[in-house]
Amino acid sequence: MSTGNDIVALAVTDPARTSRYRFYSRIVSRSELEGLGSALPFPTFIWLLWSVKESAYKYISRSNPRLVFAPLKIPVSSLELREDYYEGMIQLEHIVLYSRSYVTSETIMTVVSDEKEFTNTRWGSHVIGDADYANQSASVREHALESLSTVAPGLRIVKAPDGPPEVWDGGRILDIPISLAHHERYVAWSYRLTANSSSYRKSAAN
Amino acid sequence: MERREILEELKKVLYPYTENKEQLGNIDENTSLVKDLKINSANLVDIIIDAEAKYNIEIDFDSAEKIVTVGDCMNAIEEKIS
Repeated sequence: MSTGNDIVALAVTDPARTSRYRFYSRIVSRSELEGLGSALPFPTFIWLLWSVKESAYKYISRSNPRLVFAPLKIPVSSLELREDYYEGMIQLEHIVLYSRSYVTSETIMTVVSDEKEFTNTRWGSHVIGDADYANQSASVREHALESLSTVAPGLRIVKAPDGPPEVWDGGRILDIPISLAHHERYVAWSYRLTANSSSYRKSAAN
Repeated sequence: MERREILEELKKVLYPYTENKEQLGNIDENTSLVKDLKINSANLVDIIIDAEAKYNIEIDFDSAEKIVTVGDCMNAIEEKIS
């Protein structure tokens, strides 16, 4: 069980550079270009696929910390526009993941789950006032904790030195995989609950 | 070109993408681009493209995919200019 997310601030991407073959060919394969259509402008389409792949990488790297992010090795096999998001599928060897990407004129926010319906996955994004790196990092934690407070009050997000962030309840790590992303003035988070999330605090009392 | 020179030139490539600019003066081969310099992963391709332009080289996909640290970046450059 894992989660992965990403957010891209489109204003700080360079559409002209993104449209150069030497740039986009490092992100998207020929088969993806030929097989995945979208009405999006080409640079936005490339960053959409980047966002899906980055989110999938975060999902997978939780169980494989030595994995290096290589976009071309994370194949996106489908990408379909649903009501208000792009639904993607990523197939990497025996792993099948699903993605939901929300595209606006300002950002692309993606979350990846092993659940097609995202039933136990929670996510969100916010605009922050100050794009300073430290503020990005603090803000995304603040907003994620605000959401996590619906699971149990007083939880903490702890960043392991060489691993993904973790959710802690007092002195105990919880089985709530969490993923944080920030880019300029935009922050986003996702986390994955088990089917019975009410057990977190109960089991702590046992 | 010696590795020390490559490192100094690489600092110039990394500068516009580095959030933690203070640490740029103290980097070594073990410095992680993302974890230590706080470079957004979305800029990793930019760095490869800029390094290619600076040294007039082409860094192949396999080499690019191994770039995690400053040393990895130096290795990819050194391999192509030697």
